[in-house]
Amino acid sequence: MDITLESVAAGMRQARYITNQRVETAVFLALALGKPLLIEGPAGAGKTEVAKVIAAMLGTELIRLQCYEGLDEARALYEWNYQKQLLRLQADEASGQRWEEISEHLFSRAYLLERPLLRAISAPRKVVLLIDEIDKADEEFEAFLLEILSDFQVSVPELGTLKAHERPVVVLTSNRARELSEALRRRCLHLFIDFPGIEQERRIIELKVPDLDARLAADAARIVNAIRKLELKKAPSIAETLDWARALVRLGVKELDTPALRVTLGLLLKHEEDRERVEAKSSALAARPR
Amino acid sequence: MSGLRAALLDFIADLRTAGVRISIAESLDAMHAVAAAGIERVPMREALAAALIKDEADRPIFDEIFIRRFAPPPLPAGARRGPARRSGTFGAAGGPNPSESASGAKTASPESENEPAPATRQPQATDSRAKASPSRNSLDGASAERDSELAARSGDGSSEYDPASARESDLKRSYDAPSHDLAGGSEAARAAALRAIEQTPFSRYSDLEYETARDALAILKRRFRARLARRLKLAAAGRIDLRRTLRAAIQHGGSLGELRFRARRPRHLELLILADISGSMKYASALMLKLAAGAAGAFRRARSFVYIDRLAEAGFEHGRLVMTPPLDLYARSDFGRVLAELTARRAELISRATVIVIMGDGRNNRRPARANLLRDLGLHARSILWLNPEAPERWNTGDSAIGQYARAVDAMLLARNLREVEEGLSRIG
Repeated sequence: MDITLESVAAGMRQARYITNQRVETAVFLALALGKPLLIEGPAGAGKTEVAKVIAAMLGTELIRLQCYEGLDEARALYEWNYQKQLLRLQADEASGQRWEEISEHLFSRAYLLERPLLRAISAPRKVVLLIDEIDKADEEFEAFLLEILSDFQVSVPELGTLKAHERPVVVLTSNRARELSEALRRRCLHLFIDFPGIEQERRIIELKVPDLDARLAADAARIVNAIRKLELKKAPSIAETLDWARALVRLGVKELDTPALRVTLGLLLKHEEDRERVEAKSSALAARPR
Repeated sequence: MSGLRAALLDFIADLRTAGVRISIAESLDAMHAVAAAGIERVPMREALAAALIKDEADRPIFDEIFIRRFAPPPLPAGARRGPARRSGTFGAAGGPNPSESASGAKTASPESENEPAPATRQPQATDSRAKASPSRNSLDGASAERDSELAARSGDGSSEYDPASARESDLKRSYDAPSHDLAGGSEAARAAALRAIEQTPFSRYSDLEYETARDALAILKRRFRARLARRLKLAAAGRIDLRRTLRAAIQHGGSLGELRFRARRPRHLELLILADISGSMKYASALMLKLAAGAAGAFRRARSFVYIDRLAEAGFEHGRLVMTPPLDLYARSDFGRVLAELTARRAELISRATVIVIMGDGRNNRRPARANLLRDLGLHARSILWLNPEAPERWNTGDSAIGQYARAVDAMLLARNLREVEEGLSRIG
């Protein structure tokens, strides 16, 4: 695929991702300059989806590393397959082989368990590496990641240095549960994805839930937008909006009035306090502006 | 391209002057980004933003400086704006040479959702990308909007184009960008507001700043909660689980190939907050109490007290601070007396798991400081942190007894603004 701004825009559109110039330019630059793309924004705004869309656009594999507290190099990079090594060791000992001969096999690629980072580096073709929710990982892991993102090579003491044949497209996402280091930010292009505006969300609903009446889609987008402006424990994500829209279709709702809104609020709000707060304002939310 | 390079360097210098931290590597990235994305206004703006802006809270500053640096060229007074002049070029304040930028014919649609739109803009019924794509190569969104503005103002087309008001309008759009752009969750706008208010010193607070800070506190609470939870969990990690390690070794023929560690358990800390709510301290204390209340779930027990010359339990009802019993807000501060009261209630309030956090300036109206009582309380508690919103140069001046208290606590921390309060509270554990 020839990487131009236009081709990226077209590719994302083809992958059914409704986007804007900011997202397109950032994705284009990540591909054109070969730099990691750090995407920040609230949970459920479509950050992870960008990586999936890039993979679909390039027609390549998406390798995902889901970060969590306590994630270490062994889980992210590689591990030796101890069980397999032991079996081999016992078999070789029984056949009377010397240690020099045994150790030659034991520390070869056949006994290496490749974790997402190594899989991305050793992939024979360009892949998309999604490092999801990097803010959940420990700071030590973030520091370790800096080395990988700089050189795209890994040193395995027994095997030597493994260098990427093709630099993967790296997408990192963060919900800002903690501040990422300046060093990591410096190495990445940055993109902030917020919840879409009313118009953009309406287009998303129409694209993903075509069975929903256009008027209801507009109302749904408007109501979700208003709900997100309230101080809630958890604002509805785009996926929840789509679930709600699908539910409206299945329930045969013709008019998004107060009763319909109240009955279906559970699809948008997952905390009782949030539900109570929105229910109290449901009449105002359901009223269509003149 | 040297003109463009110089313009970009000036632009980066302006950003640095405005407080945006940009490394040399990021400057080089910006050059590469512009080389890749081209010098049409909107792609260039977004390319520069992706390379230079690593915190969405800096985006309004970026937009403002971008508009100023790469303002569209002013048209000669009296000239009617016609198709021939509709080029997406830069000029004016250090912008690139017009010959370096692309130009073309105008298309009808505004650029994208990201480009701020005039109030009269109608929602597009069809996929705007399909319309926007050709326009990206021909004319920037801002010019298109200005054209429509011009058309709207001129009516019959006879009015003159006013570059000053056009620039003002550009600037306004720049400021408006987040609210328009993020009409949904407005997380970025909230983050920007928080960034500004969290660096404002409490000494400059009025009721207005306090209201703003209170509104922006939701993001800070979430961040603080996550930060504290991590700290409390991490602190307990690291012990080897011998039984699980041996069991794992059996699978490997008895060799200790893998070490297994005990599960991380949150430590069972208790929190006791003492906050001075006398006149000079009221904003800092109220915000600190709210922030700490957001993380109360991380502790086995969390109790908050406010004081002036006596102690009163603090709570929040509908967002308002409630004291039990009510304190005389016009009383003169006397922390020594508060310490005596606390010592009398020590068994009820303090255990070896208690972290005591004090927010105060240590100004005691020349009454006995009784720092020895604080030292004694520290012997029965896990630790004592003192957050002081007063600038260090004012410590130990006048009626300040902060020096005596500093010797009795584990840490005396500066808490001049919300950010420092969060930093200080994050040291709990």
